[in-house]
Amino acid sequence: MSGYYTPEEAQDVFLKANEAYAREDYAAAQAGYEKLLSHGHGGPDVLYNLGTTHLARGDLGRAVLALEQAKKQGGRAPDLEANLAVARARQVDKVVGATAEEEFLPRVAAATDGNVVAWTFLGTWVAAFALVLLWRALRPGRRTAVGIITALLFAVAVPSGLLLATHAWVEETVHEAVVLSPTLVARELPQPGARSIFEVHAGLKVRLLEETGRFVRIRLPNGLEGWAERDGVAEI
Amino acid sequence: MRRTGSARGALLAVLALLATAPAWANDDLDFYQTVDRQEVGSDDTFRLTVVVVDAPPNAQVQLPESEDFEVLSSSRSSQRSISLSGGGPAVIQDITRYVLVMRANRAGRLKIPPSQITVRGKTYRTQPVEISVRTGRLGSSAGQPGGSRLPDPFASMPSQPPDPFADELEEDEPTIPRGDSDLFLRSSLDRDDVFVGEQVTLSLYIYSRVDLSSVDSVTMPKLEGFWTEEVESPTQLSGEQRIVDGVPYRAYLLRRRALFPVKPGTLSITPAEADITTGFLFAGHRVHRVSNGLKVKVKPLPPGAPPGMSNAHVGSWRMSMEVSQTRVELGQPVTVKVILEGVGNVKNVTPPKLTGPAALKIYDPTTTDKVTPQRNRVQGRRVVEYLVMPQRTGTFTLPALEFPFFDPRARAYDVARTDPVTITVEAGAGGVSALPSSPSQMADAANEQKNVLTAGGLRPVRYQARFEAPSEPPWKRGFFLPVVLAPLGLLLGVALIGGVRGKLATRSEADRGRQQAKAARRRLAEAEKLQGGSNVGAFYAEVEKALHGFLEARLGMPVGGLTRDVLTERMTAAGADAERRSRVLFVLEACDLGRYGGGGNPAERQKVMDAAAAAMEGWA
Repeated sequence: MSGYYTPEEAQDVFLKANEAYAREDYAAAQAGYEKLLSHGHGGPDVLYNLGTTHLARGDLGRAVLALEQAKKQGGRAPDLEANLAVARARQVDKVVGATAEEEFLPRVAAATDGNVVAWTFLGTWVAAFALVLLWRALRPGRRTAVGIITALLFAVAVPSGLLLATHAWVEETVHEAVVLSPTLVARELPQPGARSIFEVHAGLKVRLLEETGRFVRIRLPNGLEGWAERDGVAEI
Repeated sequence: MRRTGSARGALLAVLALLATAPAWANDDLDFYQTVDRQEVGSDDTFRLTVVVVDAPPNAQVQLPESEDFEVLSSSRSSQRSISLSGGGPAVIQDITRYVLVMRANRAGRLKIPPSQITVRGKTYRTQPVEISVRTGRLGSSAGQPGGSRLPDPFASMPSQPPDPFADELEEDEPTIPRGDSDLFLRSSLDRDDVFVGEQVTLSLYIYSRVDLSSVDSVTMPKLEGFWTEEVESPTQLSGEQRIVDGVPYRAYLLRRRALFPVKPGTLSITPAEADITTGFLFAGHRVHRVSNGLKVKVKPLPPGAPPGMSNAHVGSWRMSMEVSQTRVELGQPVTVKVILEGVGNVKNVTPPKLTGPAALKIYDPTTTDKVTPQRNRVQGRRVVEYLVMPQRTGTFTLPALEFPFFDPRARAYDVARTDPVTITVEAGAGGVSALPSSPSQMADAANEQKNVLTAGGLRPVRYQARFEAPSEPPWKRGFFLPVVLAPLGLLLGVALIGGVRGKLATRSEADRGRQQAKAARRRLAEAEKLQGGSNVGAFYAEVEKALHGFLEARLGMPVGGLTRDVLTERMTAAGADAERRSRVLFVLEACDLGRYGGGGNPAERQKVMDAAAAAMEGWA
């Protein structure tokens, strides 16, 4: 963690921001939370509060962005889900039509905790190899127990390694973003004058597929794709 | 055997039987009619009783009929009385009573025509009865049996405990409507003179003297000016016997509602309506019935109301305040429940709003009601639950609450109160450094409370946070990949080292042989220096050691204790040809001989020396 604030100072900034929120001074509250984030004192709680403040201010795009970031960092929580639901209910866009089936690997990654997977793999992998060495060092009559444990460790390490590879792949290839602009035009080509295909509005969660110049190709949950200006979206 | 008194006894018995015969045998008929009241209202019923004494069985009685009267019900009863007096014969009377429940169709001085009885072709008539009828309802006469209720068999039992609700339950006395006397709908109130906010109970009954199949629809009256609560709404018809103006009915409750008038004045309740199917299967038919309308006189609350009094706060109430904890850590929420319970309109009372110092943030409350009507009175409990979030440490007080209300039974105002509550807010143990170490542990307790919603419908912000810099996933950190690859590299390294060591071991064995052979040659060279000296034994010993060393290097085994035959076998196995074997054996024999005194001849020594050198040479 950054050493800009001591823990006590960070807590003080946090509480002051909370107090500002309580007296409905949302601008001051937002400034406090963003100060913490910019100095490396973030985390899911600060992001949640920032998202809630944005939501109270009516900035739907940044509210969803902060809440989604809080969800990504800290996982699900009842208050987080509730406020996200409120934000979704306020969204202008209602994506209709057949929802494109999300790919298998992203779904697997979403259903598992990448950190847990990574540490599980690392632990079992190293331990299994350590036991292999021990197995070599032991006399043939004393190798059975070590061999069984080693096999079990490998049985955990191999699938968790595959899962870890899934997470790494999703991390590298799947990029989700939130629309920040009140209205964002998606075009057929990455050119300002290209034909408009559809419009999306603040708070909508989209998938970023590729980037060209100042345009990104976005995909809606129902599979609709188009080129939009990069500034109009923010990656989660 | 003699017969005793049989003829006389039989005669006496016949005479006695004849003496007890009914009186009508001699046409002594007693026939009259009476009414139970001389003056009735046009809505009242009265009873006409026609009495025939000692009528023969085939007598035909014709009851009075008149357009001025409506017969609501009729019944017939017979009675036989036996009287014995003065030792004379028993007198038996057969008395037959016809009871008609009647109602006048108009007001005035009306005459009930006489009844008639025909006995053996002869007609007897009673006297007509005159009755005075006034418009409206005069009420039941004291002598009217039955009244609106069945006789209470326990009425004469003394000292029954007083019923706390006795003064609140007023039994309805319905009026049989003209034309629909067999089946009618009746709305009734348990009282019609109340205060604003006091409960009035509206009951809707079907009174029927026919079989009911079903009630197809019920339209409840419009209840403008009332707050209503359902008290009873039976799903099945269940009747009870009731006597209405002397006429037995089965009464079926359709609905019962509690009405709380919200404004003073005379409030009207429109008639209810119902579609009812009577009879069974194909014999049934559907009828539509409309009930009576009602009026309620609603009095305003008396003057002198305490401040904060509302018209809805009528009843009998108790108030309490429950606090989840009075000592909390900063950031932890406190749940405060304001509980109002008692008799009255539970859903319309408003407990006082919880207030507190600015250091205690009080969120909008949630309200839950539990209504439990008992004996048709609405009562229950209203709980207003607040979430209080301390904003700083210290000791703070939630002030006492007061709830003024009007008690209609006592006809006086009263105030329900709670005590103030002190809450001590402490810093979290260890301050910031003691914050939970994982997000899951950090679950904000406030968020686990239900219905914690701000005005905008949002969950509140979190009051505790674990600050952390944005971090990369573990697999992107620098150490991760090396640690993953390290075991593989280590295993590979071990395998390589093992292979190298194996190869090195093989190679060193050969080298050691060469080294030994080299040492043996050097030793032979040393022995050559001793060849010319006087110490013959040392020369031969040195040559022997040199040869032994060479043989050990080549054979890979010690040769010190081997016999000549074994040595020959080993050399053969090691690939030494016969000439080399014979030279070795010659040198060893010569050395044995020279060490123990022989071989002093220099030529001999040279020969041994040459033979040893030849044995070593060329044996790689």
